[in-house]
Parts: sequence; structure tokens; C-alpha cells
Amino acid sequence: MKKKLVSVMLSTAVAATMLAGCGGSGADSAADTAQSVADAATETADAVEEAAGDVADAAEDVAEDVTEDVADAVEEAADDTDYGTGEIKVWVADNVVDFTNEQIATFQSEHPEFSGYTFTVEPVGEGDAAGNMITDVEAGADVYAFAQDQIARLVTAGALEEVEESNAEAVKAENDAGAVSAATVGGTLYAYPITSDNGYFLYYDKSVVSDPSTLEGIVADCEAAGKNFYCEINSGWYQTAFFFGAGAELTYDTDDEGNFTKCNSTYASDAGVVALKEIAELASSKSFQNGSAAGEATNVGAIIDGTWDAGTVKDLFGDNYACAKLPTFEGADGKSYQMSGFGGFKLLGVKPQQDDNKLAVCDALAAFLSSEDVQLARYNAVGWGPSNLNAQQSDEVKADEALSALAEQLQYTIPQGQYPGEYWSLATSLGDSVISGEITKDSSDDDFMKALEDFQTTCEGYAQ
Amino acid sequence: MKSYKRKRTVSNVIGYIVLILISIIWLFPFVGLVLQSFRSYSNEYGGMVDYLVPHTFSLDNYRFLFSGETNFVKWYANTLIIAVCVTIFQTIIILCVSYALSRMRFKGRTLLMRFWLILGMFPGFLTMICLYFLLKQFGLTQAGAVPGLILVSVASSGMGYYVCKGYFDTIPKALDEAARIDGATRARIFFTMIIPMSKPIIIYTALVAFMAPWCDYVFASYVAFGHDTSYNVAVAMTRWVWTNDYQGYFTRFCAGGVLIAIPVLLLFMFLQKYYVEGVTGGAVKG
Amino acid sequence: MGGDANNKKKSGASLFFEAIGNGFKEIGVTFAQGDIKTKLSFIILGLGPILRGQFVIGIALLLCEVLFFWFMFGFGWQYLSKITTLGTIATKKVKRKTVYGDNSFLILLFGILCVFAIIALITIWYINIKENRKEELALKSGKKLPTNGDALRSLLDKNFDKTLLALPVTGVFVFTVLPIVFMILVAFTNYDKNHQSPTNLFTWVGLENFKNLVSFSKNGLGPTFVQVLLWTLIWAFLATFIDYFLGLAVAILINKKGIKFKKLWRTILVMTIAVPQFVSLLYVMKMFANDGLINGYLKKWGFIQSYIPFWTDPMLARITIIVVNIWIGIPYMMLIATGLLMNIPEDLYESAKIDGANGWQMFRSITLPYMLFVTGPFLLTQYTGNLNNFNVIYLLTQGKPQSMNLAERAGNTDLLVTWLYKMTVTDTNYKMAAVLGIVVFIVTAVVSLVVYNMLPSVRDEEGFQ
Repeated sequence: MKKKLVSVMLSTAVAATMLAGCGGSGADSAADTAQSVADAATETADAVEEAAGDVADAAEDVAEDVTEDVADAVEEAADDTDYGTGEIKVWVADNVVDFTNEQIATFQSEHPEFSGYTFTVEPVGEGDAAGNMITDVEAGADVYAFAQDQIARLVTAGALEEVEESNAEAVKAENDAGAVSAATVGGTLYAYPITSDNGYFLYYDKSVVSDPSTLEGIVADCEAAGKNFYCEINSGWYQTAFFFGAGAELTYDTDDEGNFTKCNSTYASDAGVVALKEIAELASSKSFQNGSAAGEATNVGAIIDGTWDAGTVKDLFGDNYACAKLPTFEGADGKSYQMSGFGGFKLLGVKPQQDDNKLAVCDALAAFLSSEDVQLARYNAVGWGPSNLNAQQSDEVKADEALSALAEQLQYTIPQGQYPGEYWSLATSLGDSVISGEITKDSSDDDFMKALEDFQTTCEGYAQ
Repeated sequence: MKSYKRKRTVSNVIGYIVLILISIIWLFPFVGLVLQSFRSYSNEYGGMVDYLVPHTFSLDNYRFLFSGETNFVKWYANTLIIAVCVTIFQTIIILCVSYALSRMRFKGRTLLMRFWLILGMFPGFLTMICLYFLLKQFGLTQAGAVPGLILVSVASSGMGYYVCKGYFDTIPKALDEAARIDGATRARIFFTMIIPMSKPIIIYTALVAFMAPWCDYVFASYVAFGHDTSYNVAVAMTRWVWTNDYQGYFTRFCAGGVLIAIPVLLLFMFLQKYYVEGVTGGAVKG
Repeated sequence: MGGDANNKKKSGASLFFEAIGNGFKEIGVTFAQGDIKTKLSFIILGLGPILRGQFVIGIALLLCEVLFFWFMFGFGWQYLSKITTLGTIATKKVKRKTVYGDNSFLILLFGILCVFAIIALITIWYINIKENRKEELALKSGKKLPTNGDALRSLLDKNFDKTLLALPVTGVFVFTVLPIVFMILVAFTNYDKNHQSPTNLFTWVGLENFKNLVSFSKNGLGPTFVQVLLWTLIWAFLATFIDYFLGLAVAILINKKGIKFKKLWRTILVMTIAVPQFVSLLYVMKMFANDGLINGYLKKWGFIQSYIPFWTDPMLARITIIVVNIWIGIPYMMLIATGLLMNIPEDLYESAKIDGANGWQMFRSITLPYMLFVTGPFLLTQYTGNLNNFNVIYLLTQGKPQSMNLAERAGNTDLLVTWLYKMTVTDTNYKMAAVLGIVVFIVTAVVSLVVYNMLPSVRDEEGFQ
């Protein structure tokens, strides 16, 4: 009963302020009507709840009509809009929780009109965010960070709202093209890019690896020193370094609803065989370890990893810390190939809302958290490479050793588009098949081809 | 006679050797866990290493847990609250059910027992999604996950009556009959006769109930997701091992693990006698 | 709920129908011979008892009826009416605002609740009629009706079972029965990641999902299902029996005359029971990792050149899991065996010794048969427990390594339950998870039924004396 009362009060208040805001001569009479109706509503609310509801509805109706009539006037007075109250939940990775809280405090002081809202930041990793959002959209965060590979899945599940029009233009203009395409499903922009550093390159120990330019050389050096070489070959993300490097292709087309319409794959080809053979060859080395988390690695000689682990790797290698673009490898056909891979992005999404005002606040928050200043601040705080073009050009970003290795690698990589969730699991299966010795470097070309044909047809099966 | 004695000595020596070997194997992971938990975080980083004894010992990891950088204390408190509440309510419910099924003969008794037996054959995870939304109707997810988890554990605990009922079955019925002739009601018999006689089984039931929540990862993570302060230790700390967001948390995981293991371990050792009694009784009755 | 009740009663089908016939007859007789109070009670539950002064019973009955109608019209009907389609109104956008349509999930959930409520009301209605009949007959024969106080007091004595069981049975119903029925029904819908409430609707699809599970065509799950099922059965068998015999052996060793510090050895062993598994098993998992402690030391000491793939080679991963499970499983068996071994009469061994039997012969002809006889039910519960042993598998390997030969994220060490868990949590493929859940139930039930009937202690209760 209390709830209903509150909502009655609120709607009348909204109507009243809106009308007070426009104030034009044409709207005057309508405003009066609405005002009096609203007053009546407030009075009766105490006495007869039922009736109050009806009247309030009427008040709202009137208000809506008025709003349409004087749409222009309202827009002018948009700053005076009462956004009401509410709670906005934000999910980000644990290591940026404090950072995000600080930024939100700034956001609140810049936007006093959102003072009715409280913001809570929860540590939910980018990997878990999508799964949790999909399990229960209602209980999920209003604004959340996620890795781009989840975007299509989130759109299908109805967990992502389209980016508001004016924001969309700004996002497209200010961020690098790869980031924008990563946040786009079909023809619609669904998310705000925040980083452009989800790519990988080589970290190595100078005292172990003498020449980081060829894969064979790195592996030989690691073997000689009894150190481990980490490369996560059972991940669909790292695996592509070999496949794309050898010249095989795999992309998907999507429609606006996040459905996959077409799969373009040339994995089942000579190029694919070269790549898979190279993976098997690498896996047979005694120094090879499957993995890409520097913090979990032991006895590291070299590791293929991303900028987010730069700090960890520095601790590991100390003075011998060095990074480089990915090496080349010599294929079974005798040719030399440059390793390629994905350039990926972290995105910020807004959940679909049942309340326009709250949605507006979420839009504003997401735009703020992905703005140039905040991206730069985030780089300074935790070292995440920005996707914003201006931020990328700043001096401190340009001076970063890891980021420059990534930049050097970037010319060989392919911006990561949309892939169905099953692709990642399938790629893990392919990698596991190699690691577990189902496919070894001594397998026949037919075996390689068969595995890749299976892989490709299954991939194609994911597109309807 | 002499050779017999010698044979016996030899076999005893072999026995000791085997037992010592077993003990080493059994204790090795725990020793590793404790050693790693004392590894200096600042000198050796918190990730996994391939050596057993840390180069420098320190309390870094324990300090981290209580530093307020994470909600470890909160998670610990949550788990403790869940464990204590579940222990109390689950024990009461199991005692009630066991008494009713063991001592009273009513219509539908065997039907109920069979029905519950069949229900128990469905895997528990099957219903996770449904339970989640049921709890959500009552507002017992995310922020309310702690009471929610207690409710779910307690609600279905009636089905775990087997061991306790088996124990009640061994208390002679003649005692009941005598008391009833003296005019005692069923309730009176239950409270003043049966319960005081069942101390071992009550302790066993409570101990088992107490230990389960410490390991509840599956359902707890499903109910509490996205709300850090209502996680339990298992949900919060498995992230440190499984998620790449938490690199270098391995030694912290070990430290947290030690802190969790100690109270449970002590309680268990202290009440071991009752546990053995319960397990043995349960195994034989089936 | 209905399914198993039927199963049970099938054996006495004629009895069952007879009972139903009698029930209807009783209702008819009650109505025909009843006075106006009884007749009115057919519509207003509990009116008869109230008019006859039985307030406690009467008001309880009346309250049930009121509650039912309040629930049905205030809440339930909007869901129940849509249960055949599971909702038709799609979610739509009004400008930028999202307006959610029907929620198939809640329609199904509360639809089931409504059906249960209706069944409950019919049952209560029947109880109400019987109560009226009882009271009327009692009054006719000149007996006095029990006072209200008596009715309440009986809840602590004659009807104490109802008091004790009310709460537990309700709890089991709401948090076990209702969800299980719900999930069984989900197996017949297309509830998956593309049909997720509240944004999308899902609907009935019949046996589609079951066909998919056993389909051996290109996209079918058949081959994967067979492999996972086989590994589940083999794992449960090995885990149960290896632990059983090793546990028994350890118990015999510790019980051996001449071995001292018995309590110490036992205490060391039971540590694996006491320490929460997510701590101990995750540490062990890291210990055996390719770049973990064990491989590190083996390499350092020169035993191996390259690491042993404990978790990444399918066969080795299975073996390692079973070995680690020994670490967890032996202590239980040891505890049980210790108590039971002491029950074997000493003179059996003495007389065997006089006959010149050695240790092994005594074990085979005295100890083992006794233990197998006594612990038969325990073995059965262990086996079914291992069929569903989520913790060991998931904490150690998460079902990995995956393989190109397996579909739907299944791995080489996945049990049916861990596969089910992945489907629920990672893929939100609820329809297939529900199907798998039913399969797990069937497997468990069949194994239990077959083994239970083979157990010597069931066949011959007096057996070993």
C-alpha cells in the first residue's frame, strides 16, 4: 500500500515539475488541469487508495499528452528533469573496484541531477559477468564490464540495451575502429568500449631467451635453460595466433538480434594443417606449458600474455624483463609465418531498463566511465590500455613498454569480431585434443585434416 | 615359538613402515598448504611455485586477509552463521522426523519414506535454477543469500533422517510403552526420554550439518552471485584459484584455507568418537 | 509426485481402485444420509464441525478453503490459465524503455503450484467430508464429541506425528518436490539460452530433447552421452571398490595386535574428512598441475625430462582422479571397518588358527564375508554417492580435458552430474540439463533397485550369526 502511495506521489511530482518546467502559454491550461488533478490525487490518496490509483493514471495520461504537445519546450528544460530515485548496480573486475568507486564519486559531483540515485560497485569478473547476467537479468547489474566475446550472447539473452543515439555517435567518433566493431552486433552499437588492449604478445626473460624473433629459437632457449614456455593453445583466443598467422580464416556474420547468420571459415585447408601441426609441434616440447596467466605460472622463461599481466611479469623477471611482438614460426612446409591473433576489447554494457529515467542515468554513467579522461585515469591506475583515440596518443600511454610491444603486434592481428559461445568451447576441445596427445606432431596429414574438417563443420553448424 | 615371535616382529616392523608411509602421503598436502600460506608475499609473489619450502617466511598473507582489502572476515562470518543456523535447525528437524518415523505408526508412513527415498535419487544440481527463482520470490538471493541458503539447507533436511532413525530404532520400545502406561504423552516421551538418551546421535547429526556449509560452493555461488558481501568462503575463495582476475592469490588462498580448516578440524577431532559411532551405525543400517 | 505414488500402487492396482470406489461411495452416502450441516459442508468446508462445536477442526478446514480461493484468484489463476502455451505476449520496446511480456518461467512454476493447490484442496475437501460423517455417526450413537482442548492436546500425543512432520514435509515439498517437478517439465520445453525469461518466451516441445540426447546423427549428443555415462559407471565402480578394499586393509593393519598408537594413525587419516574439500582438493589440483609441485620436483631430481600430464591426458587424468579419491575415501571405510572388525568373535579366528589357516585364508573365509555381509547397504549408498560425486571431479579437473570427439563442452573426466552442472551454469542450456537430471535419476534408481535386491543382508536377514 505504501509503495503505491509513493508511486502516486512520484508520478504527480514528475508531472508537476515537467509542467512547471515548460511553462509556455499553450501548455498553461493543460498544466493547470494536470496540477489540479494531481492535487486531487494526492488528497484522495489517503482516503481511497483504489481511486487514487485511477486518478493518478489520469494525471499521468494528461501529463503524457502535455509532454507530447510541448515536446520542444520540455527538451529545453531537460536539465530540470527529476530523475527520481533508484539504485544502480555496477559490476567490474575486482582490481578496478576502488578505481570505479572514485570515478563514480566524480560522476556524482558532476551530475547533481542524479542525486536521487545510489551506486554500488560489486567485484564480478569480466568472465563471470555475462554468465551471471544471463542467469537472471533482473538481478544483474545495471552497468557492467565484460569481455567482447560475450556480446552476441548477451544481446540474444536481452541483457544489453542499445547505446543511446547521441552517445553512440560520440563512441564511434572517439574510439578506434576495432573497438567500435567489437561493440557492434549486426548494425547496432550495443556497448561502450573501455579498453583496447585485449591482445597478446611475448614476455620473455632476457637471461633465458636470446632472440625472441622465432618460435623455434625461444623454445630451444627455454629447453636449454630448463625453463617453461607458456602459451595457452587450448584457448580459442590464443590459438588463432597460429591459424590466422598461417593464413586460415574464421569469422561470423551476425544480425541485429545477435543471431549468427553465416560462418566464413577456411580452417580445413593446407594453411590450417600448417597451423595445427605447429601447435602440435610446440606442445611436444618438454618446456611447453599450456597457460597464459603469469601469476599462476612457475619457472617461466617466456610467456604469451597480455598487458594486464605486465606488472606481474615485471615482478617475475625483475631486471630481465623484456617484451616483444609475437615470433615467427617455421611451418612444416618450410615457409616462415608471422604469428597473428586477435586484438580484443573490454566493453561496458547497460542493461535494458523498465524505467526511462533510470536508463538515462545508466547511459550517462556508462558514457562517463568510457570517456577519454576516465580511460586515461584507468590506464594510470591499473595499466589498462585505452580504446579512446586521444587517450592512446597521450605520452604516458605511448611510453609503456608492454603497450608498445602490443602496438607492434597489432599490425599482424585481426580485430576480434563476434563469435558464438560454442566456438570458445570447441576451440578448447581442439587444443585439449593436442595437449592430451589425441593429435600429435607425428599424426598423418589426414588426421590433421580430419580434425580440422570436424572443427570447421561444427563451427559452421553454429550459424543458422 | 621363537620363529613365531620373530615373524611377528618382522610383520610389525613392516606394518609400521607402511603406516608411516601412509601418514606421510596423507599429511603431505596439508603440510604444503600450511607452508605455502606462510610464504612471503612481498619477496616471492603470491602465485604458484614448484618448490615446497618458502624461501622467506612471513605473515603477509594472513595480514592481507584481515587488512580489509577483501571481505574475508565477512565471508567467514557468513559461513559461520550459515553453519551454526543450519546445525541447530537441521538437528531439530531430523530429530522430529526420526522420532515420528521410528516410534509412531501412521497412515502413509511407508509411502512417505519411499517417496523421500526416490526424491533423494534426483541429483541436487538439477533444481538449482528453480530454487534460485523460488528464493528470489522471497527476496532471499544476492543481498539475502545468507538466510536463503539457510532456508534451503534446512527445508530439505528432513530427508536425511536415516542414521538418526536407525539409532532410535535401537532404543527399546518397551520404555515408551511403560511411560505411556504411566500417562505420559508422546511429546513428553520425546522430550524427556528419547532426546536425553540420544546424545551421541545428536552430536553426530549436528557435526555433519556443521561441516557441510564450509564446502558449499555450487549452490551458494548460484544464489549469491554479484553480491560480494553475501558470499561464503568457498564461493569467494574458489575465485582466487579459478579466475584469472585473481593472479598471485595462491598463497592467500592457502592462508584462507588454513583458517577455514582449523576450527572445523578441531571440532571434528574433538568429537571424532561420536562421528565414528554415527558413520558405523549408518553404514550397517544402510 | 503422482508418478512414484502410482508405481508403488501398481502392484496392488485392484486394491487401489477398490479404495477409490469406496471413497466415492462414502462421499455419496455421507451426502444422502447427512443432515443440513453436513450438506452445507460440501460447499463451505468445516461448517458442519463449527456448528457442532468443533471449532478447531472446523476453522482449520474453513481457513484452508479461504486461503485456496484467495491464492487462486488473487495470484494463481493468471499463471495457471497460460500453462498450455507458457505465455504469448512478447517483450517489447517503448521508445528506449523495455516492457517485459509474459514470463514463461514463472508461468510454469506457479502453474505447477496451482495444480498442487487444487489437489490439496480436493484432499482437504475429502477429509472434511469424512470428518462430518464421523461426527454425525458419533452423535447419532449418542457419543460425546471430543472437546476442542482435546483436539489440540491430541497434537502432542495421538497425533504427535502430524506436529512433528508438518514443517519438514512442507519444507521438502516446497524446496524439493516442487523444483523437481518443475525441472522434469522443463525437459519437455525449449528453455535454453535462446529462450530465456524474462526477455524471451519458451514453450512445450514434447520429446525433442530426449531424442537429441540419444541421437547419433551429426549434431546429436548420442556418442558424447554414451561416453560420459560409461565413465560415470566405471568411475563409481572403481572409486567404491578400491576405497573399500584399501580402507579395509588399512583398518586391519591398524587393528593388528602389536601396532601401537592406533589412535594417532586414525587421526592422521581422518584429516581428509575434516578439512573442507574445496581447500584440500584445490590444493591437490595445483600440486599435480603440469607446472606444479610434483612435476617440478621430479624434474629437478632428474626422474623425468618433461612434465607428466596428470590432468591433461585423458587416461592419466582419470587415473589421477581415482588415486586422489583414495586419499579422500579410505578414511571413511577405515572408520567403519574398525568398529565392525571388533565385532567379529575372536574364537572364530582361534579355531581357524588351530586348523592351520594362515592370515590370508582367515581374511578370505572369515573377515571378508562378514564385512561384505554387514556393509552391503553401505556399499550401495557409496556407489550411488560416487555416481554423483561432484566435488572430487569438479574441484580437480572441472571435467577437463575436453576433446573434439565430445560435444557440448563435455570433457573426458566429466560425470553426468558435472556435465549437468556445466550445462546449467555455463551454457544456461536448462532443457538438456533437465533431461540429464532425469537420466541420472533413472541410472541411480535402476542401480539401487537391482543391487538392493541382490544384497545378502536383504535376502537373508538372519544370515550371518
